[in-house]
Amino acid sequence: MRTLLALAAVLAVAAALALSLGPTGWRAPWAMSDVVLALRAPRVALAAVVGASLALAGVAMQAVVRNVLADPYVLGMSGGATAGAVAALANQLPAGPGAAAGAAAAVALVRALCRGAFSPARLVLTGVTVGAIAASAAGVMLVLSPAQRLLRGAQSWLFGGVSIAPWSIIAAAAALVAGAAIWSGRRAPAIDRLSLGDDVATSLGTDVGRLRRALLAGAVALTASAVALSGLIGFVGLIAPHAARTLVGAGHRLLIPAAVLLGAALLVVTDAVARTAFAPREVPVGLVTALIGGPWFLVLARRELA
Amino acid sequence: MSALFEARGVAVGRGPAPCLTGVDLDVRPGERIALLGANGAGKTSLARVVAGLDRPRAGRVRWLGDALPRGPARPRTVGVVLQGEIAAALPVRELVALGLGLDEAPTAAAWRAVDATLADLELTALAARPCSTLSGGEAQRAAMARARVAGPRLLVLDEPTNHLDPRRRADVMAWLDRLDDAIAAVIATHDLELAARCTRAVLIADGRILFDGAAAEALVPDRLAAALGVAVRRLDDPSGGPPLFRVDGRAA
Repeated sequence: MRTLLALAAVLAVAAALALSLGPTGWRAPWAMSDVVLALRAPRVALAAVVGASLALAGVAMQAVVRNVLADPYVLGMSGGATAGAVAALANQLPAGPGAAAGAAAAVALVRALCRGAFSPARLVLTGVTVGAIAASAAGVMLVLSPAQRLLRGAQSWLFGGVSIAPWSIIAAAAALVAGAAIWSGRRAPAIDRLSLGDDVATSLGTDVGRLRRALLAGAVALTASAVALSGLIGFVGLIAPHAARTLVGAGHRLLIPAAVLLGAALLVVTDAVARTAFAPREVPVGLVTALIGGPWFLVLARRELA
Repeated sequence: MSALFEARGVAVGRGPAPCLTGVDLDVRPGERIALLGANGAGKTSLARVVAGLDRPRAGRVRWLGDALPRGPARPRTVGVVLQGEIAAALPVRELVALGLGLDEAPTAAAWRAVDATLADLELTALAARPCSTLSGGEAQRAAMARARVAGPRLLVLDEPTNHLDPRRRADVMAWLDRLDDAIAAVIATHDLELAARCTRAVLIADGRILFDGAAAEALVPDRLAAALGVAVRRLDDPSGGPPLFRVDGRAA
């Protein structure tokens, strides 16, 4: 419990810092003009919501495929989202909804290909393959497209970028992640039992198939919401659950809120870095999460798998 | 007294065809039933049906005269210990608490039940250890505690003495002896000495039940030879303890 309060404090401090930090340096939020605040506040809020969504999707996906190395995109969602976004852009449509639809379609395809007895290995291998096919299809579309505009539009989306969204959309995404966190938090003991294997979980009264379908649906909704709002942002959905596990243990009652808070704080900080480190130019936040998160994950993996 | 479990005309098996058919089985309180047979005879398949993990391919099964309940009532009806269970990252005490099958955080009374079960299986000192760091024998006891904590009337154990050192094997046997008489245990095993300490043995071969009766009558050379396909000598303990068995190695 104390760890959760500390993580909430970390998130609050990260948000305050991100609000104060701009391309021209640091300035306290109360000393800022309303214009700057109105531009910066939704971006910080969106980063927090997207980070929380990816972290929770990561926790759910790791429970579904029973592997702590799984991330939200593992079932082909990154490739599907890319193909969806590029196809939408090529047809003069907004990338976000296209990405969400592509991600959901990829998972639906993976599920359809994996009918029969549940096998995590089969699910992951099918997901990787479907994702690779979809990503290649998107690449072909980009290369063959006559319009440079398409490549540029897709690029900002592919590397992931938190931009400004209307408050109503941020609120909807926040409601989704809050609802999913409460729903899964209430089922924490059942999700814990799922980690003991299907037979043991079943013997303890858990409806394994139903729980797994619900978790997968939640992970897809959260990931689709995240990619629709900010493109492909890697590593947050992998590192936040991992780091949360080292802080509060593997039990989902604490793991779920810890991962949500940590994911939010992580993306708020990396987004602040992305927009200020090379000011006045901005770096896509997806590149920053990979550059910062990658080495950190290597250290974690080395320590844990040693 | 009514049966804790009953099967009528049951067929089991996970392959393309059933490996065992025509099973009628009643499990009554206080019984310790060993399921004996060669590899592939259908011991584990039958145990999984008794545990409610697999539906029988044919026939009818009942627990306490009814279908297996859902939710937290299920681990209070049947406790299951399987071979090669996944080692969780959770501490032993939390694993055992999951055995209650609760949908909310355990109450103080539930934690007391958990701690009593840990003490019963000599796991108190390991309570805070992650299950993934346990030795084989410790993991076996943790799984037994997890299966036992909700107080099921029926326990199903698949090869509970496999891979255990002599002392831990003796501990498992003593624990089974210690269970109270309201509880029945169904044990799929190759361990003839464990079977000899059971009240009843079911010999399985050639896709059917060859013999179902008192362990003392089941565990005789002729019947064991027919069930296991190998000559077995029975060495009775002159001081009245459970017998030992020696497998002769040549086909019967």
